[in-house]
Amino acid sequence: MKKARIKKSREDKILDPVIIFLSVFCIFITLYPFYYIIVISFNEGIDASMGGIYWFPRKFTLENYKNFFTDLKWLKGMWISVSSTVLGTAASVLFTVLVSYALSFQELVHRKLYMKTVIVCMYFSGGIIPYYALLKQLGLINNYLVYIIPGALSTFFLIIGTNFFADIPSSLRESAMLDGASELKVFGRIILPVSKPFLATCILFVGVNKWNNWYDCTFFIQNKGLRNLAYLMMQVINSTQISATAAASGASSGATTTLSVQTAAMAVAVVPIMCVYPFLQKYFVSGMMVGSVKE
Amino acid sequence: MNRNAKTAQRKTPFQKQLPLQLFALAGMLYLFIFNIIPMVGLIMGFKDYDITMGFQGIFTADWVGPKYLKEFVNDYQFPMLVKNTVGISLLKLVFTFPLPILFAIMISEMADGPLKRLTQTASYLPHFISWVIISGISYHFLSSKGIINTLLTRLHLIEEPIGFLTDSSKYWGLATALDMWKETGWWAIVFLAAVMGISQEMYESAKLDGASRLQRIWYITLPGIKPTIITVLIMTLGNLFGGGLSGSTFEQSYLLGNTMNYEASSIVQTYVYNVGLANGRYAYATAVGLIQSAISLIFVFGSNFLSKKVAGSGLF
Repeated sequence: MKKARIKKSREDKILDPVIIFLSVFCIFITLYPFYYIIVISFNEGIDASMGGIYWFPRKFTLENYKNFFTDLKWLKGMWISVSSTVLGTAASVLFTVLVSYALSFQELVHRKLYMKTVIVCMYFSGGIIPYYALLKQLGLINNYLVYIIPGALSTFFLIIGTNFFADIPSSLRESAMLDGASELKVFGRIILPVSKPFLATCILFVGVNKWNNWYDCTFFIQNKGLRNLAYLMMQVINSTQISATAAASGASSGATTTLSVQTAAMAVAVVPIMCVYPFLQKYFVSGMMVGSVKE
Repeated sequence: MNRNAKTAQRKTPFQKQLPLQLFALAGMLYLFIFNIIPMVGLIMGFKDYDITMGFQGIFTADWVGPKYLKEFVNDYQFPMLVKNTVGISLLKLVFTFPLPILFAIMISEMADGPLKRLTQTASYLPHFISWVIISGISYHFLSSKGIINTLLTRLHLIEEPIGFLTDSSKYWGLATALDMWKETGWWAIVFLAAVMGISQEMYESAKLDGASRLQRIWYITLPGIKPTIITVLIMTLGNLFGGGLSGSTFEQSYLLGNTMNYEASSIVQTYVYNVGLANGRYAYATAVGLIQSAISLIFVFGSNFLSKKVAGSGLF
């Protein structure tokens, strides 16, 4: 190996360390904020508000998490977030996949009209007010289903899915059809198994979107029992931002503060994403390219 | 209805595709209800509409013409809102667009190995994190008692904490910087793919001709990814004033905006929300939103036209 290595030029001797430095810098500024939040979430709240903690908790405690997981408000929000993410993602991915599969057939009658409709819907919207009026009319305001139904068809993934399915050789489907398989059977037994990259990308994106969704709750839910984790976090963040001395004044019980419990909530919200996305990396990287670089 | 073989052969193509057509039509019905109907609902901006009239009230309410449009244009907040909406968008375009290109080139210049993989994987993370959490993190870092102000004070670089989150003059920079931090790694994916597509032979022969690394980046890499740069630039221009509910400018303005930096952080979309949903002036807010939609429309069609001219193919 040593012999095979090409001798470094003088330029390489300068450039390589610069690039390594830059990349370490990028990693640091990207990951450190998350690390810091996790450190603070394991530190006593009042102590943390005095500052000066950078690398490790100074007064280690699990109180913040205990408070988070025993507070009925947070627990309920967590339940709403988890359930709406699971149900909403399942509904949305299933619907999007079925419709984009149908739209991927070049010989589908009215296909051009359908695709035009999708593109119009992707680029234009009526804005939030008519949308609100519609949801009100449908009885979805203050209704748990507002987390599930309105987002059930993603136009962006319709386009990506249509492109993806169109690339699957049509002979696969045709030979199965000749053997007498029904459309649904062909879809379930033949198309789905070869669609893993698209499904993974779709599930990741829709899932993360649902998990992070704070605006549905902000705009369409007033009922306290239906508030999700993202909304509750926003509430705490907003209330602390308004009062300048919030960190000290936010004391709730014992050594924890609202702000320190909020860091625990933030860690709870971020960790699932951190655990999932690296494993789906190769899928979303290729999915991203299908979507944006259309040759 | 008629089940004999002859009529079965005379099925129209539509009937033959019935199962697929049902999927497609279900999708179209859904889009009609949740996307098209609200677009039609935009006419409420020209009507004397109140939410108590129900959705059908949009059609039965009396016409008032461009009354609300005029009211908005004459509002004392109008110049400020337009300035912030356009200013923040342009600032983001200038700063957040080139950075992913540089980042992708940096990644492509790295030797394969764990450091390269870690840099890439880490760079995607912020994209998946919601603006709620990012605004929470920025509070811990940038508030008067936050880690950055504490550090700067301890190093005696500043006397008074900097009001990153509360100072109007800082908001545009804050929004742009956070956007750069969140999306650079993500958009670099596209550019990196383009760099990978450049043939290695070109680099090899340039090397033989004595081209230095920087020269190779300048004369091979950059021209090689130019088509991608143009495509992404056109797409970005199309979304520049993107009216979407979850566009980052709106989320930022809603989550990072406060009474102290209102002057710089309020944009047309947050104004629509405030007067519409929060204050209940539905028709007026719709008219305001309509102006933004119209501008976005011009940008989408304009960028599509450009795309057809420059890149040879448009998005529609």
